[in-house]
Amino acid sequence: MKLEIMAQTRLNAYHIMWLFVFFDLPVTTKKERRQATRFRKDLLNDGFSMMQFSVYNRHCASKESAEVHMKRVKDFVPEKGQVSILTVTDKQYGNICNFWGKKSDPLPEGPKQLEMF
Amino acid sequence: MLKRTLYISNPYHLSIKNKQLVVSEKNGMPLKTAPVEDLGFIVLDHPQISFTMKLVEELNEVNVATVFCDSKHLPSSMLLPLDANHIQNEIFRAQISATEPLKKNLWKQTIEAKIKNQARLLSKLGKNSIPLKAVGRTVKSGDSDNREGFAARLYWMELLGRNFIRDRYGDPPNPFLNYGYILLRSAVARALAGSGLLATLGIHHRNRYNAFCLADDVMEPYRPYVDEIVFEMKKSWPDVFMLGKEHKAELLQLMTADVKIGETKRPLMIALSQTTASLAKCFNGEQRKIVYPEFD
Repeated sequence: MKLEIMAQTRLNAYHIMWLFVFFDLPVTTKKERRQATRFRKDLLNDGFSMMQFSVYNRHCASKESAEVHMKRVKDFVPEKGQVSILTVTDKQYGNICNFWGKKSDPLPEGPKQLEMF
Repeated sequence: MLKRTLYISNPYHLSIKNKQLVVSEKNGMPLKTAPVEDLGFIVLDHPQISFTMKLVEELNEVNVATVFCDSKHLPSSMLLPLDANHIQNEIFRAQISATEPLKKNLWKQTIEAKIKNQARLLSKLGKNSIPLKAVGRTVKSGDSDNREGFAARLYWMELLGRNFIRDRYGDPPNPFLNYGYILLRSAVARALAGSGLLATLGIHHRNRYNAFCLADDVMEPYRPYVDEIVFEMKKSWPDVFMLGKEHKAELLQLMTADVKIGETKRPLMIALSQTTASLAKCFNGEQRKIVYPEFD
């Protein structure tokens, strides 16, 4: 329908982005473990979800919003360990290949502007 | 930023975990999570939906318009935060002590914008908008001779035909219009709260039984956006009385409708905040014009 197309272009115009955060954090001492957990919690509180252990991703409706969340992650990275942030467009994210064992599974559907359930 | 809209019409349990809304079946596994700060509008439409107090707190925190529906599936109430704006007290006082001439001037601007937008919708649909445009130029301060009502008669006649009567309980497409206007009203109320305004104290509407007078005032120029959606819907569903999920989905698209203010286009939900922010400035005496959209 006409209206749906309108909403679609609106979202495209806003450049949907996906943020990926990869990290390797040291967990040898109690303090380090605490900081690693804190970092994971901070990511979840900022709207990220776990894709794999130490890989988190987040849907951002616009480039500006992606920048906001990138800045927030920068603010709470722990003092030790390695953290990388990657931004990909929705189009690029759509080309992802997921495997569970040898079986390939389609990408779970990303959030839409209007969801009914 | 464009916020997400959720419409929930199944008996789910809603809770919060790590600042994310969790939708789950009763005593079941989580079906869906969504970061609360990404949400703009939630419609809860099932008598057995349950939710936690913590969720309500988080929704209020980021000023999500949370709308509750009654057993007829019509929106009946919404959450309104009591402290959505940090200088709320100052703006409340400015609003309460607004002078009569200021309110009349604001109402004049509102009605002018409304009639202009109605005329623009008519010309967009290829209908005759010349009489309406003329009416729009003759609005007096406070709309003392009710140009609004006169314009409405011309408008509905031209838009939906001579036989159409706009009535809350009337024939189709009245049910669509009602639903659309209620959604619009809650979106306006949310934007008002966000700008630190009191939705109860109107500039023109003053019915003692109405808790959303100011929302009813501010939504006037935005009504043609609902009318356009309904006009399109009427072609596919000419005589629907009961609104189904698909009809509501169409109407909920309203929140992302393209709204043009000045030179920029933005989703309606965002444009509303711009309008209410400018209204707050009018009350404060910082500016004299409310920013209303130009329908196109």
